[in-house]
Parts: sequence; C-alpha cells; structure tokens
Amino acid sequence: MLSLRNIGLQKGSFTLKQVSLDVKDQDYFVILGRTGSGKTMLMETIAGLHKHSGTVSFRGRDITAMLPERRRIGFVYQDFALFPHLSVLKNIRFSDRYRSRFWKRSGNGVLETFTNKQWDELIDFLDLEHLLHRNIRYLSGGEKQRVALARAIYSRPEILLLDEPLSAIDPSFRNTIMENLKGLNNRFNITVLHVTHNFREAAYLADNIGIMMDGRLLEHGPAQQVLQRPRSLTLARFLGFRNIFPAQLIQPGAAGLYFSVDPALIKLSESPLSEQYNVQGLCRELKEESDHYKLTVDSQGHTIFVKIARQLYDPQVTTIGAEMYLGFGEDAVSFFEQEGNADEMSL
Amino acid sequence: MKCLFNLSFILLSSLILLFIIIPIIGLFNGVGFFNLVEAFGDKEILYSVLLTMKISFYGTFFVLVTGLPLAYLIARNDFRGKAIIESIIDIPVMIPHTAAGIALLMAFNRGMMKDFFTIFGISFMDTEAGIMIAMMFLSSPFLINGAKEGFKNVDPKLENVARTLGAGRFSVFFRVVLPNAQKDIVNGMLMMWSRGLGEFGAVVIIAYHPMIAPVLIYDRFNNYGLIYSAPVAAVMIAVSLSTFLVVRGLNNKRSSF
Repeated sequence: MLSLRNIGLQKGSFTLKQVSLDVKDQDYFVILGRTGSGKTMLMETIAGLHKHSGTVSFRGRDITAMLPERRRIGFVYQDFALFPHLSVLKNIRFSDRYRSRFWKRSGNGVLETFTNKQWDELIDFLDLEHLLHRNIRYLSGGEKQRVALARAIYSRPEILLLDEPLSAIDPSFRNTIMENLKGLNNRFNITVLHVTHNFREAAYLADNIGIMMDGRLLEHGPAQQVLQRPRSLTLARFLGFRNIFPAQLIQPGAAGLYFSVDPALIKLSESPLSEQYNVQGLCRELKEESDHYKLTVDSQGHTIFVKIARQLYDPQVTTIGAEMYLGFGEDAVSFFEQEGNADEMSL
Repeated sequence: MKCLFNLSFILLSSLILLFIIIPIIGLFNGVGFFNLVEAFGDKEILYSVLLTMKISFYGTFFVLVTGLPLAYLIARNDFRGKAIIESIIDIPVMIPHTAAGIALLMAFNRGMMKDFFTIFGISFMDTEAGIMIAMMFLSSPFLINGAKEGFKNVDPKLENVARTLGAGRFSVFFRVVLPNAQKDIVNGMLMMWSRGLGEFGAVVIIAYHPMIAPVLIYDRFNNYGLIYSAPVAAVMIAVSLSTFLVVRGLNNKRSSF
C-alpha cells in the first residue's frame, strides 16, 4: 500500500494542504481535479521530486527521504517528456543501465530483467513495433503516449504515475488508449495513480477516486461511491450534479442538507404519477441532443432539468409551454451536506 | 503598405549586412590571391595563427569545465544573489580590454597569487598562460551565457522523468541535459573561441610575446605598414572563419537529430 500522511508543500502559486491518502497495491486510483488544483505537484511529490512536510511510505517502508531514482515509481507526464535526442527504442530502454545498478545497490533479491517474451508483450500490447526506430519528433500524440507508457513500464516500477495522460491525445484515439490504460495495473502488477480533470475518464478507469480542489484532497473512496454519492454540496457541484435543492423541500426539518435529482431518472406525464416524489411544472425549454432530449422545467420557483432518452420521448407530453407532472423515486435522489462555501463552486 | 514595410526593412537590413561584409571582402581583395597563398607559407604567420587558435581553445575548454556547472546552477535555480552572479559574469563584456589586462596582471602577477602559481611552474608575464587568462577573462561570458540559455531550454520534466527511470543527478546531466543543450553550448564555445582569437587589448598588456595573430598584425602594422600587416589579417580571418563555419554547420546538422 502507498500511504501519504499530511503531505504539505508550497511552490510558487501551488500548494498542497495536508494531503493524506492510502492506495492499495495494484489499485487503479484516479485523482480528479481542475487544472491548477495541485494534482501534478502531488504526483511529483510522490515521485520524490519535491521536498515536503509529512510522510510517504510504500508497503510499510518510509520512503520520504528516498531519492526519486531509487523509488521505483514511473512517471508519464501530460506532454510525455520523451527525450528528443533519442529514438523511440532508446527512449524506452533508457533505464537499462540503471536497473542492474539499482538491484545491486539495494540487495533486493533477484535482478529482474525484462525477458524477450515480456519485451515482445509490451511492444505488442502498445503496438510499438513499427515505431521503434523512428525519431520521436515525428510521432503523433497517441504514439508518443504509448512510447512514454512503454518507457515507464519497462523500468519496472511498482507504482505508475500518469499525469493527464489523455489530454494531448486526439479525441478519436482516446477510447483506444483508455482501453490500453484500463487493466494496466493488473497486467503489469503495478499500482496506478492517474490524475485528470475529465469525469468520463475517471469513471471509466478508476477502481478508486480522490477529488482534489485547491491543494486539498476532499474525498476519496470507491469510484462509484465518490462519483454518485458525493458527501458535500461543493463536491456535488464539482462533479456536475444538476437539480440541487434544499432537502427541506422533500424532507421537512432537514436543515443544512441538500439533495440532487438525477435528470435521467425523472419521469414525465400529462397526468399525476405514482412516484415517491411528484411535482407539477411548465416546460420552458426543449433541446434535442444526439441520443436524448434536454428539458428545462419551471416548478414552484425552481428550475428542474430533465433528460429523456430518445426512445422515451413523447411529443404529446413534452412540448414547450406544456404543463406536465414530474415524478422520481428514492433511487434518483442523493443527499449531501453544505460544506464550506456553497457559492464558491459555480459550474 | 505591406510592400513599403518590407522594402524599408530589407533596405535597412542590407545596409548593416554590407557594412559587415565589405571590410572582409576589401581585405581579401586588397591582399590578392597570390599574396594570401604566400602568407600561408610564412612560418611566422602560421605559427602565430595556430598559437592563437590553440590558446583560445585551451581557454574555451577551461571555461567549458568550470562554466557549465555555473550556467546550469543559474538556469535551474532561483536564489538570493542570482542577479549579482549574472552581473559578475557580464563584467568582462563591459570593461575596456586594456583595463582588464592591467587588472589581470595586478591579480595574478603579484604577491601570493604569483607565488602560488609559481609552485606549479606557471607564470603569466609574456607566456601562453598569460595569453590564456586574458582571452578567458574577456570571452568567458559568451560561453557561460550561451550554455545558460541552452539549459533553460531543456524542459525540467525531462530530468524528472530520467530520475524516475533510475538515473542519478550526474547521469541525468550527462545523458539528458547536455545532449539537449548541446547546440547552444557548442555555439557558445564557438563564440568564446572566436572572441578569444580576436583578443588584443588585454593580451598586449600581459604578453606581447609569444605573438598571437592580433599582436603580430599590430606589430607589423606599426613597424612595416598596412601592406605587410594585411596578409596576416587575411590568413587569420580565413582560418578562423572557415573553422567557425564548419563547426557551426556540423553542430546545427547534428542538433536537428
């Protein structure tokens, strides 16, 4: 397990504020946060590239003072940081001369060499065979990313840090690369920490997710739980939750609590519905998207967003200016507390 | 409007380029081909030109070894007093060369410093070592500043990644930083070396003999006139310019990987 305890650091305009986190072995852990929230700095700190307060330990061993070259932590930067003076092959095999030295110095068991079979598997997995002797200047973003991944994996890290690895990739290749990343932890027996600002990326890849804002790690836990059941209003807004209202509307007496209704789980009808919660409203706006419709409904001074799948769309009910009934059940509702300044996040 | 802009800029640029080129052409034209060939056969001229190139190279090499670490430290770190250190590096560019020669003599040819270097059999008055410190003192900023810019252009992330791949600081410097700053460093070396070749003011104070090319040109001009000094100048320019162009050409070609 990788454990961070009270990591604090100030560098230029970036700050890390008492970050504590545990990441299990072979976990795919995604840290989600906006640009400038301190994600990259946290990764560099884990790699040993910054002096900081607090401790970093791995499998029970304190590695806070350990030099980056001895940590066995691989790093893939957003812009990949490939060595411009070396070919693809030489980039990947950059760590060749250090691996044996590392093992000799640490006396840490048997020298782990990359067997021909493992090399072939790596090159095959990342589809690099035809690129090996190319100049890295002429590679596309996706190709560079695969080379950077191969270079990091080839150095046999125990932890792999990925800093926004998909942001410089052409959107049409993103799915293929996400597939490559998914399962990287199990295929190569490594713990993966991946930072991103992209919710979709996080939801698809993560076993566990941490949310970082302004240098703080606000929440972390299993991906589904963090993404679908945020604990606070701030997090809910950050995660793009819509239809956020005071909980008193549906639970009188629930002061200080808020709830959100999933726009995709709201039912519409011309007549009253038999759902747990029902309201009446007026359709103000209707927008057609590729596979669904978006409705804006005004109800008792509140604005409710509704998302209807194309196959469920009924033009009789959903037209602009039409009165309609909206209903939703317990499964569509998430409750959270107001934590900090709710107005600071306006997405 | 665009046409007028281009025309006026091209005209002004041409003026300054011609100003630089015309004296060189005038020199070779005035000397003539046969006199130039004859000058290449003059042992005194050849010895002097080669001596100038050799000593300037030694000086450049010394500054390469000591100046690169300084340039790297400045390029990679922000610290109190950094501006002062950068100003110190630029001092030689700002002071008159004869004054620099006097300062060097006062510093290295007197008292404890003189005694210290005497232990190693090194003296500076009228010696190659004297010529070397004069050249080095006045031309080192070209190499140090060139290397500093080169190091600044190397993305620190490359160093970070290299370290996570197992490379120690020295290894990162030699395997990642130097190759990627090579173009600026070699250009800085060339600039320093070329500037060293032309050094006269400080050298003439410290070491009139052995005569480096600029001193020989001055000596012949003073004693025999323009007609005898021009071939020395032409040989010096021909040799140094061709070396400069060849090295720079190779460097640019190699740096484009």
